[in-house]
Amino acid sequence: MSGDDAEDSVDGGGDSGGRFGRTLGRLVDASAVERILISLAALVLSVVVGTLVILVSGLVLSPCPSTPFASIPGVGAFCYDPIEVYRVLVVGAFGSTYNLGITLKETTLLVFTGLSVAVAFRAGLFNIGTQGQLVLGALGTGLGVVWAAPFVPAGLVGGVVLAAFGLLAGALVGGVWGAIPGALKAYADANEVITTIMLNFVATGLALTLVSEVFKDPETQNIQTRAVPEHAEFPPSLLGVQDFSIFVLIGGIALAVGVYWMLRGTTFGYDLRTSGEQPDAAEYGGVDAKRMTVTSMALSGAIAGIGGAVYVLMVAGYWQEGIPSLGFDGITVSILAGNNPIGVLPASLLFGALKGGSLAIEFELAVPQELVGILRGLVILFVAMPEFFRMIGIRYDYGDDATVAADGAGPEDPGTDRDSGPTDASDDDEGGEDR
Amino acid sequence: MSVGRLPTGRRLLVALGGLAVAALLAVELLFPANPITDIAVVLATIVVDANYVSSVLRLTVPIAFAALGGIFAEKSGVINIGLEGLLIISAFTSLAAAAALGGGDPNQTQLWLGFGIAVLVSTLFALLFAIVCIEFKADQIIAGLAVWLIALGLAPFASKVIWGQVNSPTIGTFDDWTVPLLAEIPFVGPVLFDASPMVYLLLVAVAASWYVLNRTAFGRWIEASGENPKALDTVGVDVRKVRYAGVLLSGFLSGIGGAGLAIGRVGQFIGGGTTMINGRGWIGITAYLFGNYNPVGAFGGSFLFASLDALQFRLQQVGYNVPSDLIGIIPYVTVVVVLAFVGRTRIPSAAGEHYESGEE
Repeated sequence: MSGDDAEDSVDGGGDSGGRFGRTLGRLVDASAVERILISLAALVLSVVVGTLVILVSGLVLSPCPSTPFASIPGVGAFCYDPIEVYRVLVVGAFGSTYNLGITLKETTLLVFTGLSVAVAFRAGLFNIGTQGQLVLGALGTGLGVVWAAPFVPAGLVGGVVLAAFGLLAGALVGGVWGAIPGALKAYADANEVITTIMLNFVATGLALTLVSEVFKDPETQNIQTRAVPEHAEFPPSLLGVQDFSIFVLIGGIALAVGVYWMLRGTTFGYDLRTSGEQPDAAEYGGVDAKRMTVTSMALSGAIAGIGGAVYVLMVAGYWQEGIPSLGFDGITVSILAGNNPIGVLPASLLFGALKGGSLAIEFELAVPQELVGILRGLVILFVAMPEFFRMIGIRYDYGDDATVAADGAGPEDPGTDRDSGPTDASDDDEGGEDR
Repeated sequence: MSVGRLPTGRRLLVALGGLAVAALLAVELLFPANPITDIAVVLATIVVDANYVSSVLRLTVPIAFAALGGIFAEKSGVINIGLEGLLIISAFTSLAAAAALGGGDPNQTQLWLGFGIAVLVSTLFALLFAIVCIEFKADQIIAGLAVWLIALGLAPFASKVIWGQVNSPTIGTFDDWTVPLLAEIPFVGPVLFDASPMVYLLLVAVAASWYVLNRTAFGRWIEASGENPKALDTVGVDVRKVRYAGVLLSGFLSGIGGAGLAIGRVGQFIGGGTTMINGRGWIGITAYLFGNYNPVGAFGGSFLFASLDALQFRLQQVGYNVPSDLIGIIPYVTVVVVLAFVGRTRIPSAAGEHYESGEE
């Protein structure tokens, strides 16, 4: 590490607060570009490390069940061809209208959980509990719609009313469950990272108990609720994939735009962001920080609950044991998107595609689909370390522009803003101070 | 030390109170038809049962080792929330290594070798995390999350590559160590002197951690590195090295915890869902938080959570037909309740921040 380097970050750490306040607007614009660059670089690096994982695991597996793709005498055979794995991954995600439909189905679900996490992040809260909020929201939807169905006439209008009621029920239950860690954080100083993780376990256990003991569908052995009436489900539309409705995807995109507008264009959004970025300034400006904590966690939980509602109404048709880990994937989506609601859309598409493709690599190449889980973790790891890219930039001397762009300062002001990337990142996602 | 002891004691008292409330609520919830006294009698007989206490100690092993590791990392200034991932990695590695060495039926020596390899691999993982946090100034919370997510993908992935499924085959576990004569003492004997080697290791580790942190120069460095790195730098100690040591220790200790669970107690790696670790690393974090970074307090916290975990097995054995999922959430509810009661823990003031020496 060079001396120049060290000095830089000491400076930046000292005055980042003031600078941040002065140029909040400009930095946000600049950081959009830099975040995209960091995310792309993180993706490329994950693919590179993923290639190593594929090669090594192929080596471990040998002797190979089929012809190895390469072998080194004395070392062994590489059973998996990384290029082939990535090719099948992409083809599996986009290769046919059916595959595209599966990818878009996953994308749609991830948009909601990604937005849920992003809203909390923006308020300076680390909501790891999206999964639990989604699980209970889904249960609220499943039970609510089944309960309300007899009161509503069948047919299109009744279906729309029921679906709307289901979404509302999901949002309500998810919101209440999200508000709990918010209140614990605000009024009891309980660290939300830990409480939300614990509440995930509680939510799953609670839902399982409720369904298996009280609300179980008597006609099946599985732990699941009675199915919602067919007219309440979102009809499959476009691409002919059973569990995907283009209308829901459009709704998700609209929600992303709405959340973006809320954060940028409303007083509430401004207060929410400031309390996340500069809690002291927000408090000084008259924001009730405690109430804001509860509100933003409730909002985050409500969006997660809507995600649960979509899972029930678009995919499953009922609440069932073993809801996929959409909430945890939402964390990945949001981090990759730099917690930007609009960025959540492409990030969801990427992880949706990985999910769609993961089935194909296991089915066609017998490469375990958990590979995608490794890639997911690697992406997060690399996104967390913008400094890494900056150092590479310095090492290979790509000049100031490349250096600056990779690490996070706007090109306008390369001298002083150099280290704003890492500094801001740690400010944004503060989890440390508030244990 | 005398200054630090009081808050810890009070903290534990509050925690115990929280636990009692949670337990009472749970009992009230679970057995509306039964008078509480009946249950209390059952609980009392369970708790003084040596078998119960032994099994609690075994369940304490992974939680407490993760907690001890977390103390060293966080006190040195690096918050390691990736403990769960380190436990997963070492649990898997211990099984894979022992099974590979012993051809599916490893003997005790091969089990111990597998154990050692797992601890090594976990430490290497922690080294990776340390480099990412210290050299590349990564956000510690996100990087820790990444460690967890990578482990959550890597362990089942590797299981499938090796065994064709996410679970490993079952192999043997460590034999218990029996201390002659002492093992004959009623209650204490079977609990403390006829136990898994992992339990002995844990008791030694708790005492050693306490000693290192409170009585040695290295302990003071760790403390200063998290509280006032600049001062430590001024007296000529390299903050980066101390932080590396802290994080590596967290990997080492978590490695013992994860391997201790997999080949110390279960004899299998289970990789489905949240894996066999199932949140124990997270509970470990909570345990050291309300033990206020004191190894003895963290052990106490881990023991309490483990006892709740063991209670659910016991209640079912005794014949109470309660939904297992509901009992299963008691430890997690307790963590939330305890955290709400304990509230803000004063974390080391420089934890989570990068430190750059000005003279480098």
